Amino acid sequence: MKKYDYIVVGSGCAGLSAALELAVSKKKVLLIEQHNIPGGCATGFVRGRFEFDPSLHELCGVGSAENPGGTREIFNRYGVDVDWIEATDCFRVISKYSDGTAMDVTMPSGKDAFVDKMEYYVPGSKDAMLRFFDLMQNIDDGLAYLSSDNINPANIFKEYMPMVRSGGYNTTDVLNALCLPEKAKDILSVYWSYLGVDMDNLSFLHYASMVNSYVKFSAYFPKHTSHEISVKMAERLRELGGEIMMGCRAEEFLFSGDRCYAVRTNLGTFVAENAILANINPDIIFGRMIPPELVPAREKKLCDARKRKLGARMFTAYFGLNKTAEELGIKDYSIFFPQGSDSVAEYNSLKRISTNNYSIFLCYNVHNPDFSPEGTSVCSFTTMFTSSTDFDNLRQEDYYKLKTAMAKKFINTLKEKTGIDISDAIEEITIASPYTFARYLNAPEGAVYGYETREWDGIIARTIEMTMGLDYKVKGLYPIGTNGVRGDGYSSAYADGQIIAQKAMADSEKEGK
Amino acid sequence: MAMKFGVKSTAADIKKFTSLITNREAAIRKAKANDINPSFRINELARKYHPDYQKMIISEIISHEGADAKTFVFKKADGSEAAFFRAGQYVSVLLKIDGSLVTRPYSICSSPLEAKQGIVKITVRNVKDGFAAPYMLENFKIGDEIKISGPEGTFYYEELRDAENVIAIAGGSGITPFLSMAYAIRDGLEDFNLTILFGSRTEENILFRNELEAVAKECDKIKVVNVLSDEKKKGYENGFINAKLIKKYAPEGKYSIFMCGPEAMYRFAEKEIEKLGIEKKFIRRELLGVTKKVASLEDYPKEAAGKVFDVKVIIGENEYNIKANADEPVLAAIEKAGIPAPSRCRSGECGWCRSKLVSGNAYTPKENEGRRFTDIEFGYIHPCAAFPLSDMVIEVPGSYMK
Repeated sequence: MKKYDYIVVGSGCAGLSAALELAVSKKKVLLIEQHNIPGGCATGFVRGRFEFDPSLHELCGVGSAENPGGTREIFNRYGVDVDWIEATDCFRVISKYSDGTAMDVTMPSGKDAFVDKMEYYVPGSKDAMLRFFDLMQNIDDGLAYLSSDNINPANIFKEYMPMVRSGGYNTTDVLNALCLPEKAKDILSVYWSYLGVDMDNLSFLHYASMVNSYVKFSAYFPKHTSHEISVKMAERLRELGGEIMMGCRAEEFLFSGDRCYAVRTNLGTFVAENAILANINPDIIFGRMIPPELVPAREKKLCDARKRKLGARMFTAYFGLNKTAEELGIKDYSIFFPQGSDSVAEYNSLKRISTNNYSIFLCYNVHNPDFSPEGTSVCSFTTMFTSSTDFDNLRQEDYYKLKTAMAKKFINTLKEKTGIDISDAIEEITIASPYTFARYLNAPEGAVYGYETREWDGIIARTIEMTMGLDYKVKGLYPIGTNGVRGDGYSSAYADGQIIAQKAMADSEKEGK
Repeated sequence: MAMKFGVKSTAADIKKFTSLITNREAAIRKAKANDINPSFRINELARKYHPDYQKMIISEIISHEGADAKTFVFKKADGSEAAFFRAGQYVSVLLKIDGSLVTRPYSICSSPLEAKQGIVKITVRNVKDGFAAPYMLENFKIGDEIKISGPEGTFYYEELRDAENVIAIAGGSGITPFLSMAYAIRDGLEDFNLTILFGSRTEENILFRNELEAVAKECDKIKVVNVLSDEKKKGYENGFINAKLIKKYAPEGKYSIFMCGPEAMYRFAEKEIEKLGIEKKFIRRELLGVTKKVASLEDYPKEAAGKVFDVKVIIGENEYNIKANADEPVLAAIEKAGIPAPSRCRSGECGWCRSKLVSGNAYTPKENEGRRFTDIEFGYIHPCAAFPLSDMVIEVPGSYMK
């Protein structure tokens, strides 16, 4: 039996990041992955002459090489060089303001440009917008301070009081307290869908750290689909001496006393001298992969308290088009089509197929003309489901019809709202549903966001819990991924993998390993 | 100046902030320590629709005498439903032949409705100098247990892309996906007009002649035109399926062409279709397979032809040292050695066999290039469509179907 210092199970974003963090720290690492490609959501697939990005396409916190954000710094630390493309606009949204009037706005990246554009759309918003950005900056600095060594509690209340005072509230409350004009709040509410939790239930700190990161550092996406990120991470891991086994499915974690020391897979059993980091949903780990008597009562309670309330389940249609973006009249990289500005109503409408009229349109070629062969373009539409109800008993013959019906709805929305008609240009089409994500990721309900980060289970509460070092985890076994402290998203998952890997190493050191 | 911000009073805000952790603790404390249920309905359905493999029993064998072919009726071994599929999709059949562990993709020729009764049918036609087909025709018996994959492939009707009139060009056993499509149209699962131009050598050779006639009679959306290459007979078209013939049966306006047949048919038909000036999106081809004459391809490095190379195959902790012929895909050498390796389409398309080329060189024919951009950059290959050009070391994923 081969022994490693650490074994990482699952090569999703968090798994790849954890493995690299361990490897750059000179640990002997094995990374196992059930699929034949690394990356989990961060991957790519080929149909005909097109390559598609299946999920979240862009990352926050990348920033330029000269002014790197946290995400780029993670990649820099690992020595992974991704060919990043900057999305210069944050988004275009075509919807309705809460007073019922038409909304069609395009928000640029960069704080000043963002504030100015908001003033253009919503005259008189500038002062409040500047307060909004100041507050987000204070939160960014405060959160960085909280995760640094040697924290002085008094300092928190001195320097980061705005963070403290906004920290317990949801996003709606804080935007109200900032006295932002209604229309500005309507525009800012577009961001709720990035996290899958409506503004009334979304922690402002979570919202702020994401929005600030997107606006300040721009969104970036890899030149050749997210598969580029994942393969480059895997290749770097090999360079650093890490081992990778693909087509290797973890079946069970093995224990010596109350300590996890090995993982049994279809390719054999592998021993980790220090710890195993599992990029797997905790319900699966604690419900299926370890003996029930070894599951700490607290894990069971945490699971019960979450009531299986998972975050967004994605539904995406991918199109390879035989015309260029220009020929089709596509000028925007991303367009959001919410029904209105009330995120609570929107969240509720996304529970069911019949009321789900949301979509996000995306065309990579706008920023990256080489994304597909000459004379072509690639676009996708995504919506999400905030409940599994309609998918729990869908018959498969109806499932195919649903895919087509959803795709038609997407195409019609684009046509109605922008006049752009892609219907005659479709050369390839593939549609991914919650079943598809469940199939490839094994994530519960195909929910790529993990558990909903709302109320007591928000990322701030999760982070504080971790820094308090609550000692209830299974020894030698660390869950990582979207259910971790940072919640969902590529950038968050990379950060989570890194944070937990560091924690695992610190714990090992304490134990004298 | 440091910024000031508050929602309510300072005290209320601070209390709200510090309550974040107490709220979390309270929510967890009052929950129940029940055993965790790791099952989720969507995941159960995903596994049902896309199983790693399906264990089947051969429940019936139908001989097609004149066509030198047999239809194998597979029934789900545990009596449950088989994975539902789109008419035109294939299953990968796992075979153990004299120490080799091989897969073969076969189009499903039955109606998707039959999957509900646990039934999936494939038709195997004898291939001269073949390996798997003669084995199956000779050895498969009623009651045998066979492992097949879930439904795979993208060769099916897609109303958002394809024209509502489809001209199918079928050669020999390439009729099978179209038979399934015809059944699906008849059964109300698909809705398009299907005109099948079916090339056979002689009348006697026509596979599924009665079935095709029957389904065309039952449903006016389906039309079958038999084209005989080696025989002139009344009531049949004669020769090969060329541009003229396609035009004769094509409707006014837009139509899609779907092709399935042997390599030679594709090479001929593709040239003919070019004359029709149809948009690329309206031309669909079933899996190509890989050529048996790789050395005849223009950009093939001729110096490798005929050579035998040493290949080290790494799967997990296991290493196997095998020989590989230059004129066969690497996957063939792996399978001959009895090593369980994942594969499905055997045409370079699906990427199921994606492997890391650690050292050495391999050649992928342009017509089989289905790799992702970054995979090509970092030396990944699809062994089902990669021919060895040197000694090599490859890392192959583990397989769940063995």
